[in-house]
Amino acid sequence: MVVGTQARSVDLVVIGSGPGGYVAAIRAAELGQKVVIVERDFIGGVCLNVGCIPSKALINAGHAYHAQVHDTATIMGVHSNGATLNWEETQKWKNEKVVKTLTGGIEMLLKKRKIEILRGEARFNDNQVINVIEGENSHLLEFKSCIIATGSRPIEIPNFKFTGRLVNSTGALNLPEVPKHLVIIGGGVIGSELAGAYANLGAKVTILEGLPHILNGFDKEMIDVAAAEFQEKGVEIITSAIAKKAEQSTENVAITYEANGVEETITADYCLVSVGRKPNTDEIGLNNTDVKLTDRGQIIVNDRQQTSVSHIYAIGDVVAGPMLAHKASYEAKVAAANIAGEDVLNCAVAIPAVAYCDPELATMGETPESAKEKGLKVMIAKFPFAANGRAITMNATRGFIRIVSDKETKVIIGAQIVGPGASDLISEFALAIENGLTSEDISLTVHPHPTLGEAIMDTSELADGLPIHI
Amino acid sequence: DGQLRAMPSVRRFARQNGIDLTKVIATGRHGNVTLEDVKNFQATGKEIET
Repeated sequence: MVVGTQARSVDLVVIGSGPGGYVAAIRAAELGQKVVIVERDFIGGVCLNVGCIPSKALINAGHAYHAQVHDTATIMGVHSNGATLNWEETQKWKNEKVVKTLTGGIEMLLKKRKIEILRGEARFNDNQVINVIEGENSHLLEFKSCIIATGSRPIEIPNFKFTGRLVNSTGALNLPEVPKHLVIIGGGVIGSELAGAYANLGAKVTILEGLPHILNGFDKEMIDVAAAEFQEKGVEIITSAIAKKAEQSTENVAITYEANGVEETITADYCLVSVGRKPNTDEIGLNNTDVKLTDRGQIIVNDRQQTSVSHIYAIGDVVAGPMLAHKASYEAKVAAANIAGEDVLNCAVAIPAVAYCDPELATMGETPESAKEKGLKVMIAKFPFAANGRAITMNATRGFIRIVSDKETKVIIGAQIVGPGASDLISEFALAIENGLTSEDISLTVHPHPTLGEAIMDTSELADGLPIHI
Repeated sequence: DGQLRAMPSVRRFARQNGIDLTKVIATGRHGNVTLEDVKNFQATGKEIET
């Protein structure tokens, strides 16, 4: 603790440079604030360094390898003389071309806007002053406003300390080799995406899921599509399984779990534990402030992203809601606007969620189940990719598009896509739902042919009761 | 131009009912003419210039 140092005065301190923090810093600077951004680790946060971006790179490498050894040869007549995988090159591409390009880009964007980057750990002294400690150095900053964007970290479960062959998502993205056998504890989005990537790269994968089904947060009809593909690729899914303990040797790791009242042990090269994430709110000196937390350690905010201390804001994984990068970035812009004196509320109608499995899953707004639970009168229209020309040319006909619309007004209140390009296609629904469009608004919009996006128009026509291709 | 101030379904409704969207007061999000705006305009029984 440094005492007696003169605190320097700043407009805005942003703690954390992830998709929440860096966006908040940039937007606030655009709106005239003098901004200092504090980062203890890597610019770009979890998403760019050890999350969204590197995982998508590995998923893509998996698709490329899998296509070489399987689909194209057996179906499209494209034969290669046996694909080989150079894992070191794959990792190098991911780290040096993909991650470095993006994080370097973020750093440039921050510098371009004259945002001061301070490397170090931030601790609140009180509601007004923050201390940034970097090794021997410390900076005291007295801020007019502050945005907490410290993100989250993987949850560790008892008897499964992240060490050696027991890895969290960061470790799983940087394994020294493609495992012969990988066990994944927790079949949520992170676990399922990495299961797919490593299965495509040639690993035997076993998922242990505590709940009765994987991919919690998506509905059963969607999960079934992804599960069918997992089964085809030999991924073993054990549901309602409780992980008990792990024993490591230099060669392998043995995982003991209980399912249906029976204890079993499986031996694998590596074990990924991906059972969830917890907010990083416990080590930043919030106890020295009047910022209120929930008992789960989330920061309580209003719809302007203000905490119980009105000039301290919080965004992203540290506040309630889905732990998603685009949600953090949206909240960032809300917080920055309010700090700059604008009157802006967090009023997004719905936030899309995507799982990059095979095929991809994307959902936003109401599902048939959630609409039923809320007693809403809805119209459900479901159109299969098997009836879409582009999907047939891609040999990717598994899945469907579903629209949930208000029965009376035809306004779209939810959409689900499982199938090729779902992650990109959902954006059209994001626009539709955010603007209160009806299914007719989409059917009256000319979509190019042949495209996957056309299936959105087809689903809308189905919702209007005037289907063409089904 | 009223075309750009209303969603496709509202434009279609207005067209089918002979309503000039440029004469309708917008109350919707982002300054949009809503279906309700068009129906209200219709209900006031104003002469539609053709």
